[in-house]
Amino acid sequence: MGDFLQKLLNGLAIGSVYAIFALGYTLVFSILRVINFAHAAIFTVGAYLTYALTGARFGFNGILKNSALPFELPFWLALLGGALGAGLLGIVVEQVAFRPLRKRGSDPLLTLVSSLGVAIAVVNIVQYLFGAENYSYQDPLGGLPGKVDIGPAGIRTVQVVIFVVSMVIVVALTLLINRTRIGKGLRAVAEDADTARLLGIDTDRLVRLSFFISGVLGGLAGTLIAMSVGIAGPSFGIAFGLKGLAVIVLGGLGDIPGAVVGGLVIGVAEAFVPDSLVSYREAVAFVVLLVMLLVRPQGLLGRAQVQKV
Amino acid sequence: MIEYLNSYGSLIVTMVLGAVLGLSLYLPLMAGQLSLASPGFYALGGYVAAILSTRTFATDGTYPVPLVLLEMLVAAVLSGALAVVVGLSALRLSGIYLALATIAFVEILRVLSLNLEITGKAIGIFQIPQPFGTKLSYLWLAGPLLLAAGLFTWRLERVRTGRAFAAIREDELAAAAMGIDTTRSKVRAFVIGGVLAGLAGVVAAHLTNTWNARQGTFDASIIYLSFVLIGGSRTFLGPIAGGMALTYLPEWLRERADSALLPEWAGQFLRDGRLIIYGVLLALSCVFFPRGFITPELLERIKRLAFRRRRPPSAQPKPESAA
Repeated sequence: MGDFLQKLLNGLAIGSVYAIFALGYTLVFSILRVINFAHAAIFTVGAYLTYALTGARFGFNGILKNSALPFELPFWLALLGGALGAGLLGIVVEQVAFRPLRKRGSDPLLTLVSSLGVAIAVVNIVQYLFGAENYSYQDPLGGLPGKVDIGPAGIRTVQVVIFVVSMVIVVALTLLINRTRIGKGLRAVAEDADTARLLGIDTDRLVRLSFFISGVLGGLAGTLIAMSVGIAGPSFGIAFGLKGLAVIVLGGLGDIPGAVVGGLVIGVAEAFVPDSLVSYREAVAFVVLLVMLLVRPQGLLGRAQVQKV
Repeated sequence: MIEYLNSYGSLIVTMVLGAVLGLSLYLPLMAGQLSLASPGFYALGGYVAAILSTRTFATDGTYPVPLVLLEMLVAAVLSGALAVVVGLSALRLSGIYLALATIAFVEILRVLSLNLEITGKAIGIFQIPQPFGTKLSYLWLAGPLLLAAGLFTWRLERVRTGRAFAAIREDELAAAAMGIDTTRSKVRAFVIGGVLAGLAGVVAAHLTNTWNARQGTFDASIIYLSFVLIGGSRTFLGPIAGGMALTYLPEWLRERADSALLPEWAGQFLRDGRLIIYGVLLALSCVFFPRGFITPELLERIKRLAFRRRRPPSAQPKPESAA
């Protein structure tokens, strides 16, 4: 029982990060109908920025060897700063890789490649600056104990913090989308961009905003994962980025509640992979992705779309 | 000259293989299907070669070329069979859904090869025997492969099957309404692409001497896709040119980095930051050359220029009326 509960809680913690990461994908997809493949790079940048803002020193591989910022922020401020930086990067990605192509009405496939081009560039800039070594945060939780007991299960405090932070973000985003004027605008653009524009909504501004929010979510997810397992070099976002795709397909592309459910389901499913098959854990998300696409491409919560002529 | 070519032998053969891989992605795209499955088939072909040549056919000394051809046959059959299975199920999807399904396919194959005994787990397979003394000699395998693939695709664009692909690409519903069996056509394009990637994998495994799970990754999918989209996705010459040029580009940047003309920091940037430049160029060429560098219009213009030079203007045939 304790074992079961522990796995469930660990699964929910990691799944909640999958959820906010995937929300970043799905927000942009719901509006532009394209997948932003630079999202994984933004995830990476968020984790590195937080590391830098805590005033920690960089290793000896990159061009910034052994340097550190002249100030040290407390961890929670660094986390916010990293997320904001990632959000700004999201806007840059939009301006460079999406906007020129959108204005011309190009093939969505090209947007896929241009966003990947930006992703390759960003990941390698990170590597060029900071080197390829692993980093981990110095004591992100302050003085908190390393473990807490929930019923019969002991769980790392980090996991609890991750879960709580992620859930706060999910609730905040849901409120933003459903209860505010901005959210109404975003929903209108997602429904039909042309009509929204005719009704006087500044669609360009909302697209920029959605990239900003998406970047913030991606950057936060990066920091949260790095809190738990450390930063495993500049490309540690790639595997995560691909899993995020599985999450949004499971939830239905562009479906916001679906992305949350999908993230939690995949996180828990991975946690319950038996120890003897643990090396196959990385494949779980992709098997789910493939099966979903073949059985129910509209996602868990979605409706099937009728093809119009 | 020969010496020069030999020192670049590996690069030249890799460029030729890059062109073949570009074609393997181009084929499904001819029928409007974005498939990123090529690295999966490429990895599969490589493992077939690696396993057969190190275990089944183990020989001393130079590895006989006919056995490589046999490996290519096995790899083609296996890739083709797998492609039929994957294609029949996945090609009900389209657009981004198909791309995602093929990404999942590649990742699942990668995790399998990381875990199975027969593929050498994370370490991979070492000491794959060499059929040739020099890397350049691999052109005897890669060259004909590219030639055959290129000729095949060139012809395909001009026969019924290829026209059916083009019709599906323009409008799948309309194509189906005109009596084209769209599923069969799409699976065909997908299978041919998969077989090509598998064949390229066999040659690459011998060329590189080792084979491991790093060969079939998501990154590779994107690199191959960039071969097609930057080279040009409307004529078979596009992926060939794109595959060669983009395989050469990082090497070219490395060479520039070593030239003495540049200040030290710039040289260091070109060496360590090559992939930054690659990424930026990828993004920029999508923005500024959305149809790729080699387009049918460009070929048409070149053809017309060549044509005009040979004949006086009066002898030009009348433009065809009623297309």
